Amino acid sequence: MSNETAEREVILSVRHVSISFDTGHKKKFVAVKDANFDIYKGETFALVGESGSGKTTLGRAILRINPCSEGEIIFEGKRISGNISREEDRNVVRNIQMIFQDPAASLNERATIEYCVSEGLYNFHLYESEADRIAKVDKALQDVGLLPEHKSRYPHEFSGGQRQRVGIARAMIMNPKFIVADEPISALDVSIRAQVLNLMNKLKAEKNLTYLFIAHDLSVVRFIADRIAVIHLGEIVEIADSETLFQVPLHPYTISLLSSVPMPDPIVERTRKHIDYDPSKLDQSGAKRELREIRPGHFVFATDSEFEGYEEKLRSMEQEAK
Amino acid sequence: MDETRNVIISAKDVEVKFRVRDKYLTAIRGVSLDLYEGETFAIVGESGSGKSVFTKTFTGMLESNGTISKGSVMFHGKDLTKLKTDKDWEGIRGAKISTIFQDPMTSLNPIRTIGSQITEVIEKHQGISKAEAKKQAIEMMERVGIANAADRFDEYPFQYSGGMRQRIVIAIALACHPEILICDEPTTALDVTIQAQIITLIRDLQKELGFTTLYITHDLGVVANVANRVGVMYGGQIIEYGTVEEVFFDPRHPYTWALLSSLPQLGIKGEELFYITGTPPSLFNEIKGDAFAPRNEHALKVDFVQEPPFFKVSDTHYAKTWLLDPRAPKLEKPEVIQDLHEKIKKMTDKGGAFHVE
Amino acid sequence: MEEKILENKSDLFEFASFDKNESEHIAAPQYSYWKSVWRTFIKNKFTVAIAILLLILILFTLIQPMISGYDPLIAPNVNDPEMRFLKPSAEHIFGTDNVGNEVFDVVWAGARNSIIISFVCTFITMVIGVTVGAIWGFSKKMDKWMIEVYNIVSNVPFLLLAMILSYVLGAGMGTLIFVMCVTEWVFVAFFIRTQVMIIRDREYNLASKCLGTSTWTMIKNNILPYLISVIMTYVARMIPSLISYEVFLSYMGLGLGVTKASLGRMISIYTSYMNGYPHLFWIPVTVLAVLSVSLYIVGQRLADAADPRTHM
Repeated sequence: MSNETAEREVILSVRHVSISFDTGHKKKFVAVKDANFDIYKGETFALVGESGSGKTTLGRAILRINPCSEGEIIFEGKRISGNISREEDRNVVRNIQMIFQDPAASLNERATIEYCVSEGLYNFHLYESEADRIAKVDKALQDVGLLPEHKSRYPHEFSGGQRQRVGIARAMIMNPKFIVADEPISALDVSIRAQVLNLMNKLKAEKNLTYLFIAHDLSVVRFIADRIAVIHLGEIVEIADSETLFQVPLHPYTISLLSSVPMPDPIVERTRKHIDYDPSKLDQSGAKRELREIRPGHFVFATDSEFEGYEEKLRSMEQEAK
Repeated sequence: MDETRNVIISAKDVEVKFRVRDKYLTAIRGVSLDLYEGETFAIVGESGSGKSVFTKTFTGMLESNGTISKGSVMFHGKDLTKLKTDKDWEGIRGAKISTIFQDPMTSLNPIRTIGSQITEVIEKHQGISKAEAKKQAIEMMERVGIANAADRFDEYPFQYSGGMRQRIVIAIALACHPEILICDEPTTALDVTIQAQIITLIRDLQKELGFTTLYITHDLGVVANVANRVGVMYGGQIIEYGTVEEVFFDPRHPYTWALLSSLPQLGIKGEELFYITGTPPSLFNEIKGDAFAPRNEHALKVDFVQEPPFFKVSDTHYAKTWLLDPRAPKLEKPEVIQDLHEKIKKMTDKGGAFHVE
Repeated sequence: MEEKILENKSDLFEFASFDKNESEHIAAPQYSYWKSVWRTFIKNKFTVAIAILLLILILFTLIQPMISGYDPLIAPNVNDPEMRFLKPSAEHIFGTDNVGNEVFDVVWAGARNSIIISFVCTFITMVIGVTVGAIWGFSKKMDKWMIEVYNIVSNVPFLLLAMILSYVLGAGMGTLIFVMCVTEWVFVAFFIRTQVMIIRDREYNLASKCLGTSTWTMIKNNILPYLISVIMTYVARMIPSLISYEVFLSYMGLGLGVTKASLGRMISIYTSYMNGYPHLFWIPVTVLAVLSVSLYIVGQRLADAADPRTHM
């Protein structure tokens, strides 16, 4: 979590990745366009976007569920997208795990918790004996605040928050280095969201993990993320470290997202402005838009003229801060 | 607040039971609520707290295995709990009391045009000619913010985006100028940026048409935005209610404290967020004492023995917790939500994380 | 009253102890899938009665022919006209037939063969069909050519195929089983394929994939357990329908040879005596109907009980 960018070790790179799907018609549906960013070891990198933004598609591409149509994904210096050997594929599975959005849908209802949590252990034979496997499962359950006695239970006997923690235990037992968490709290009741967030933070610190945290609103992300990428209709419009993105959001879409975070304060809410995102106010000249670095580590998706505008805005804000 | 405002609908000690297989589940355990004309009342609660079930008694839309076993809901001198058939409800449900649901697709018929679905409601309840109904429908569509409404009149729901569909659902709900609009999580299925637009739309329409709004939501941020008064529901009961300022800035029930404290907006990076352990009670079992007690770290022994009554905090603010009993030990609300307004003001003022311009 | 209770116990207004782990316990008794299936199944008294009836019927058909030693090639009373066409009585429970055989013996011997054939066929087609269908549902490559196989096989006229095969291979139990299985498995496979495709892309399967679970383990642990109920429904329909197939083919002269007792051939022969001795016709038909219907009901109820939505 250090701020010295130069020294930070890149664990995963998404290099100019585009992902498209056949729609059955001639036209292909492009879900992600030219996504390009690095994730550093030990950080929580948030990918924030609304439905249809391509955030889940991109997250799943890292797990090799969706193929990239262009570009490549590099994990610890090795390409993991496209055709790779079976051994490398197994290596990706061991090191990159996923936490799903809907705990009810992502657990096998006909299997006991013991099987659900052991599944990865079985697949890679990561245990010495039956007793060792049981001990590992017990440990994994306790790590997420569940009890060893839960092993013989079935998923439907648990509450939403407990099920989500089973999902976390199942991923963590593999001792992964990288976790893709796809909206891990949006399907949960408000009162238990906090518990799952705390747990993720705790495990990250204990196990030296890196997270790609996919979310649809900025309020959660501010609490958990070190750096944030905002994605809109398949295009990444802004990347910055968390503090910067909240202090000096540049892209109008980011500003609109930020303004739509509801605050739990009636007095503030009454006067708070909501800013609609209006793409027609952007540069309509047809100039090429790309992700450019405006300050070290702060990228914004812009044409030349837009970039100048952002630069001007930034400079005046910096002036004011002084 | 104007003290002399008229009560438009009054629920008294409502109890709702569901028969699930051979067991009875008490979903609502004695809820009373008066709605004042023109106000916006928000009911907050988690899933299973009974917030939706309770408001369904206002429109007679309980699932067929549910019954109102006790209590009354008085509306214009009529006890709504006594109405049985669809014919009894005619002129009330969809006309005087309308509902907007979470998923707009469930309220719209996918194989009929948007226009015909709005005109149908207008014709049915107002008994006017087709041409006149169409004129009104287009007017309504414009009012809810559909650009070139006349052209889009003959389109089908799938040609509309999620936000647009919810606007149409609102148009249908308001087509008969209802006195009460029930919004059941109207923005939960929508994107965050659309959510704000829909909330603003409902508020603007309320000002214009003067109906009373009853919001049901789990999102305290939304509540702060829309409500004049708030009721917090837990385990089939309202456990605290008051004006929105009272509930946010001076909450008294430990559950309200917990809900507010666990909001990620208030979280400080690198520190733990407050969280509530466990799960809401199963309503299949009889609940003894305070339903929240097993999850409440501030629970008193008495909470496990005896259900607390409502204690008065102010003329408008009541909370159902033994902590307000004079015999109870003094307890401050958690640190995170002390000086809530100052904290949030700082966050949204210049230089704060949620400041926008 | 309430106030009084509380007044006397001022210590009630002290903080209670609080244990965060307490709320994680699940109070409900252990859930077990098969136990729940069983409990749901036996809850309905009518189902239990039918199941008992079916069990007795099946045991009886399996055991009775061994005791009677009925052999269609031997008709001990064929030369005794006195013994022909006797009405049912205490001595001859179902009466006797045109060659003086006890109808009681003939019926059960025939029923036994019908049951054996339908059970064996169902077993074979299910094993092949479910296995092929499960892989078929998962593999997009296989789907392309399996659909063609399905189209061809499902369009071959069954009766024609049965005729050719029974002429080529000669009538007999083995042939009959082969005839009934040779096309039937394709339908099972297609049915299973569709079911697999429905649940294949569910999120929990994606989760298993992310954990490196092989397709085969996924079929075994993620897919088939979800299909127990629909497979049972299928079996519940299949067994009775195969019994009627056997009867039908034997009736047409394509089924079991003259050496084996058969309900179908029995009905075919007895039809000629419909006018004078209707009981000869109605007895085997009734046995057939009772068997089929109770098999179907028990199978359906088992399938319902196997659906976890009916538990609780």
